Amino acid sequence: MNLSDLFLGALIALVCGLDRTAILQVMISRPIVAAPLVAWILGEPMIGLQIGVMVELLWLARLPVGAAIPPDDTQVAIAGSVLAISLGRVFVVQGGELLLLCLLVAIPLGKVGQYFDRFARQYNVCLLKRAESCLEKKNIFFAEMQHLRGLLSFSLAAVGTYVVILIGGFFLIPLLWPLVHEPLLNSSHLLQLALPLVGVAVILGTINVSRALTLFCASFGMAFLLMWLV
Amino acid sequence: MALTRKTRIHVWFRLLLLQGSWNFERLQGLGFFYALLPALKKLYRRNQLVTIGREYLGYFNTHPYLAPLVAGAVLKLEEERAAHQDLQVTIDDFKEMVAAPYAAIGDALFWGGLRPLAAGVALFFAAKGILWAPLIFLLFYNLVPLVFRLCGFVYGYRQGIRSVEFIQRRCLPDWAIHTKEAAVVVLGGFSAFLVFQHLQHDEMVSWVGLLTLIPMILLGLIARKGVSTLMLTLITAIVIILLSMFWTDVTELLVI
Repeated sequence: MNLSDLFLGALIALVCGLDRTAILQVMISRPIVAAPLVAWILGEPMIGLQIGVMVELLWLARLPVGAAIPPDDTQVAIAGSVLAISLGRVFVVQGGELLLLCLLVAIPLGKVGQYFDRFARQYNVCLLKRAESCLEKKNIFFAEMQHLRGLLSFSLAAVGTYVVILIGGFFLIPLLWPLVHEPLLNSSHLLQLALPLVGVAVILGTINVSRALTLFCASFGMAFLLMWLV
Repeated sequence: MALTRKTRIHVWFRLLLLQGSWNFERLQGLGFFYALLPALKKLYRRNQLVTIGREYLGYFNTHPYLAPLVAGAVLKLEEERAAHQDLQVTIDDFKEMVAAPYAAIGDALFWGGLRPLAAGVALFFAAKGILWAPLIFLLFYNLVPLVFRLCGFVYGYRQGIRSVEFIQRRCLPDWAIHTKEAAVVVLGGFSAFLVFQHLQHDEMVSWVGLLTLIPMILLGLIARKGVSTLMLTLITAIVIILLSMFWTDVTELLVI
């Protein structure tokens, strides 16, 4: 395990975490981008791409509308990639089994991200009050600075989630690996198929389109038949 | 006094940080104040600025990609207010009038439609192991939001309160529905592609793939009932791992 890998992962977690809500929102925070990016920096881009494919669709249907906070798929993807790469070097294993275990551990731990994000947004209320009091004192510069301090709370939430998933992963995966290695060996390929399909099913169930099922089945059937017959 | 191009560009860049202090009480209020401050400093004296600033710290929430459209129009109104012209509508009322509908349109179009569509397209490439897939996603997704962020701001500043026509003329709610429909079609094709790849890899008979629709529709219906994605993912994973103990025997029946 290389500490510089973990640090680089934290840096990507910070940048992508900020893109999620606080700045830009150019979607580098999406798992399909964040996971390959961190994995590419750590020298194993294909692992990131595999994780990106599996995580991207899982929570895509959860929209950041109003005060709703979707689960932190960004940190799940980044920390999952870092775990898979770091532990892959420790256990010296080939194939997708360890990658899947890392992801299956990271996914529930990612729930922490929602809580951290909520704390950050609650803390930002204090910044708003401070900005108001600065304005009362006619100190416009400090009122302005309160907004930038909000970036700090979102940064802490992002890095905090990353750290929790990493610690949880480094603790749980070595314990679970001997127990689930064999079953994962038989099921890894099917699991790699199932995770994106669960995401698609959730999108299908929650998307607000009247003919979603018809369109989906027609498209699925047509594409499948084309690939089968051609 | 008209705002200089430099000031407007400064405001536009600050709008990229609009949600930096997002909070549960007034959502983007502080961010909107922060973004518009360079313009307000040009238009008002210090004492006036304090009073105006308090107004901006109130509740504000819209879609981040459509916020430049609101901000552009608000700058125009601020110019008129600073020049003591009569306003057709107060700035607070204007913000309140447009912010929520713009948020609803933006959420449906960008988050609900364009994002799954772009993800679906990029995932085809990613599933084939093409490392450019993330770049394809970023290029495909960001083109439209960038146009909205740039043109919306310019149009908003030029048209003031008439900038609502920007949304009306382009029938954005209809586009949101079309984009969502396109996303469903792309995701249908992507699912078929994944299933077919899997069957070929395991040398299983192809018709079995069509049966995948059944669990997918079932999962979709369960998700609609409110069961969380996390729960569905974990249950699916556990079921597959448990089944894998007998899987070799089952798949042998379906091998070509």
